[in-house]
Amino acid sequence: MHMFDGLAISASGLTAQRFRMDVISSNIANANTTRSEYVDGQWLPYRRKMVRFEPMPGGFASALQKAMGRGAPGKGVVAKAIVGDPTPFQQVYMPEHPDANEEGFVLLPNVDILKEQVDLLTATRMYEANVTAFQATKAMLTKALEIGRG
Amino acid sequence: MIHLSPFMELALDAAALRQQVLANNIANAETPFFRRSDVRFADVLTEAYQRQAFVGKRTDPRHIPFGAQTEPTIQVIQEGRLMNSNAQSNVDLDYEMAAMSQNALWYQALVQQTSKALAKYARVLEGR
Repeated sequence: MHMFDGLAISASGLTAQRFRMDVISSNIANANTTRSEYVDGQWLPYRRKMVRFEPMPGGFASALQKAMGRGAPGKGVVAKAIVGDPTPFQQVYMPEHPDANEEGFVLLPNVDILKEQVDLLTATRMYEANVTAFQATKAMLTKALEIGRG
Repeated sequence: MIHLSPFMELALDAAALRQQVLANNIANAETPFFRRSDVRFADVLTEAYQRQAFVGKRTDPRHIPFGAQTEPTIQVIQEGRLMNSNAQSNVDLDYEMAAMSQNALWYQALVQQTSKALAKYARVLEGR
């Protein structure tokens, strides 16, 4: 157990949530992007991206503690991967659009602005929760310095 | 000889560890299939108290030990199961935040107690 592990854990949460906010911003910014990848002579629209979180691996020390039945506090969270949303693209009838097919339909990204707004709010709140946890840990460490000061 | 209550150190250790565990729960609140952990503290204290209360003294290694002989260990336990398939993890943010502020206050109280105990010795040393 290290003294500043608590701060590092909260910091990992901050990093993960900030990363998630970046991805959400990218989704919102690209909500109308029709040319993202060029596949088989055809442009595909932007595919909505999501972040996959995983607990940070604890390494040998935490495995040993766990095997001894004591358990370990964990090391925090890590944004392991960015995954594409497999839902189908929106099809909108816009014959004047440069990327419209023969029937006049355009493939638009599978980004739902409402969903992104909700995710953004959740990420913000989670970020704040981690900040609060960080401050609580910091207050405890500061208090520990007062031991024996009388 | 300065002798602080062993419970105090144990409680401080447990509170510091609990802070880490709660911080980890909060950090992983949105991790799929994450199960929250917590620190067993009341049990540990009771165990330590019982150990203090009655321990058979062994003057020979062949004697059968009785009374709790083991050092009390602060245990981190993984709690509960996932509430439903829809839930990402079983972390309740409100609960974690409440537990965290409670834990921080508890820690500060312990620090104050320890400081007071040490202040007593300081007074004795002054001799006034």
